[in-house]
Amino acid sequence: MAERQAPLHAQDKLAFLLSLVPFLMEHESISVHEAADHFGVKPEQIREAVELIAVSGIPGETGQYQHGDLFDLAWDDFEDNDQIVLTNLVAIDDAPRFSGREAAALIAGLQYLSALPENADRSAIATLMTKLSRGASALPSQVAVEDSETDTTLALIRESVAAGVQIEFDYLNSRGEHERRRVDPLRIESMDADWYLRGWCHLREAVRTFRLDRIGNPEITSEPITFHAADVHLPDTLFEGSADDLAVTIDVAPAAAALLTDYIPEGAVSSEADGRKRTSLRVSHYHGLKRLVGGMPGVVTVVEPAAARAAVAEWAAAGAARYEDD
Amino acid sequence: MPVTSSAKIPVEERLFSLVLALLATETGLTKNEVLSTVQGYRQRYRPGGDNANLERQFERDKDDIRDLGVPLETVESPGQAGNNQNLRYRIPRGAYELPSDITFSVEETTLLNLAAMVWREGSLSGESRRAMMKLKGLGLVPDEPVLGYAPRLRVRDAAFEPLRAALEKNAVVRFAYLKPGEAEARVRTVAPLALIQHQGRWHLHAEEPDTRMTKTFLLRRIVSQITTTGATFPAPSGDQTGRALRELEEVWNSHTADVEVVADSDAATRLHKRRGTVILPSGALRLHYSDANIFADELAGYGPEVLVLSPPVLRAAVHSRLLKTVEEHTDREASNG
Repeated sequence: MAERQAPLHAQDKLAFLLSLVPFLMEHESISVHEAADHFGVKPEQIREAVELIAVSGIPGETGQYQHGDLFDLAWDDFEDNDQIVLTNLVAIDDAPRFSGREAAALIAGLQYLSALPENADRSAIATLMTKLSRGASALPSQVAVEDSETDTTLALIRESVAAGVQIEFDYLNSRGEHERRRVDPLRIESMDADWYLRGWCHLREAVRTFRLDRIGNPEITSEPITFHAADVHLPDTLFEGSADDLAVTIDVAPAAAALLTDYIPEGAVSSEADGRKRTSLRVSHYHGLKRLVGGMPGVVTVVEPAAARAAVAEWAAAGAARYEDD
Repeated sequence: MPVTSSAKIPVEERLFSLVLALLATETGLTKNEVLSTVQGYRQRYRPGGDNANLERQFERDKDDIRDLGVPLETVESPGQAGNNQNLRYRIPRGAYELPSDITFSVEETTLLNLAAMVWREGSLSGESRRAMMKLKGLGLVPDEPVLGYAPRLRVRDAAFEPLRAALEKNAVVRFAYLKPGEAEARVRTVAPLALIQHQGRWHLHAEEPDTRMTKTFLLRRIVSQITTTGATFPAPSGDQTGRALRELEEVWNSHTADVEVVADSDAATRLHKRRGTVILPSGALRLHYSDANIFADELAGYGPEVLVLSPPVLRAAVHSRLLKTVEEHTDREASNG
């Protein structure tokens, strides 16, 4: 299997070489560091690639890779000054096309982001998608994401993030409590169909995550934000555990376990019996747990603690009671 | 520069040399010409001898190169149709190079950077990273992080990657599918046409070869591994994803439920904001949905905050789900008194 790993790695290197050559052709002279910054790679990776390009070429009429059939480089400038100047070019004139899959990945990404205010100009997005399709060497593969309409709350929050001003809104937390919040908006995040605002909450005096569909009556203020994204720790994961979290043991249908990944702490011990997977979840309170478990009926069962089981049972019983005349 | 060295040639050097050689040839190179002259092959080529290993290497390299979107063509030598030994290989420049009239503005590049960020896991994240690298080759502005956004689209369904691979190869697949509302999974054999995400869920749009009927499957409901049958089907023409999305949208439009929500509750806030929600004169909400069983799960999560008024089938489905949850969370000893 190691044999299979190596070509994959080499494939990425090849893609890099084919992208780097036209870039170097555009820039008659560019430093290794500038090129590294541009591509977001380490300078060493640029040096290695340039050294390889400089000795590569085509077999040529003789089939012997004669001097004129190879790329060439101003070696002194490269070795002494870390400066890249290609002095002979072969075979490649232009940047490569996208593959059908690459174009499809970007097109689907654009479709997914169609709710963003930046994407409000639908004809501009359509033009961009057409360019990607035309710029692909094959028909983009048939993977697509549903468009969504531009959301007014999202647009308002985006405006406040861009302007660096505080925003106020009514927020209903999952305990069912209403509060007027004032927030330094820092980042708009999403997870599949759900959108969130991450920001510094002046009421809680901490970074908090707010679901956009729980936000009501948003209003932009003229007050500049007090905390900036650089001042606070904004984790990469949307849901972060805290020391106050409650641990809950559950049984889940193995096929559905992936849907709970965000709640299963790292290093959680799982076992399997009778076709069910037993594992543990971390939740901030049972108000959230009862909604989560209630929405996966027959798929997830809380095993312990008893208080968590009771919270779920009570919630579902109250719901069922509304149908008791059926 | 020395190029006759017998030292081991790195894989990327061999692949790069192959692309250069095939780009430079108008008429194409035969396999023998490739193996005997191209850097990385020629060092191991045995004139008149057995080159079976090298030939297999060449086959794998062609796949790896094509995988990157490089249009490596096979052409028959004039007057020698059908003669495999005389097939010629080349990369036509026009099909390889990004057309010169395709340029991207700064705004477009920003949007593409964001679109690429969406994929954080799975093969699509690799594909979008590679696409962005190609864009950088055009000399476009380096990707400064798009401030203020962190979008994420996940593919948690195990069936996604194998289906995507089958989709590209036009390979007929087989899997066990648990239709919502049915107790037993049934094995399906279908020709995959498109993978689409609708309302946050991935769907497979596919044709049943026997009946020629198109069907849509929810990836989350595929309960077995995806296997290929070995059969392939002709590439469908037309916009399959567009058609599949329209069909899903029609289903979503045609299904409505009327529900009562407790004022100021989580259900009221969120269901009001759901796409397409209409507030009826009575104050009840009319909601659209795709599948009664899946929607019933979602509504059951709201517990007493939601009362389904209609349709009866959805009302019954939510009620029975709530009862099931109560049953599974009530201790038998306790209920026996």
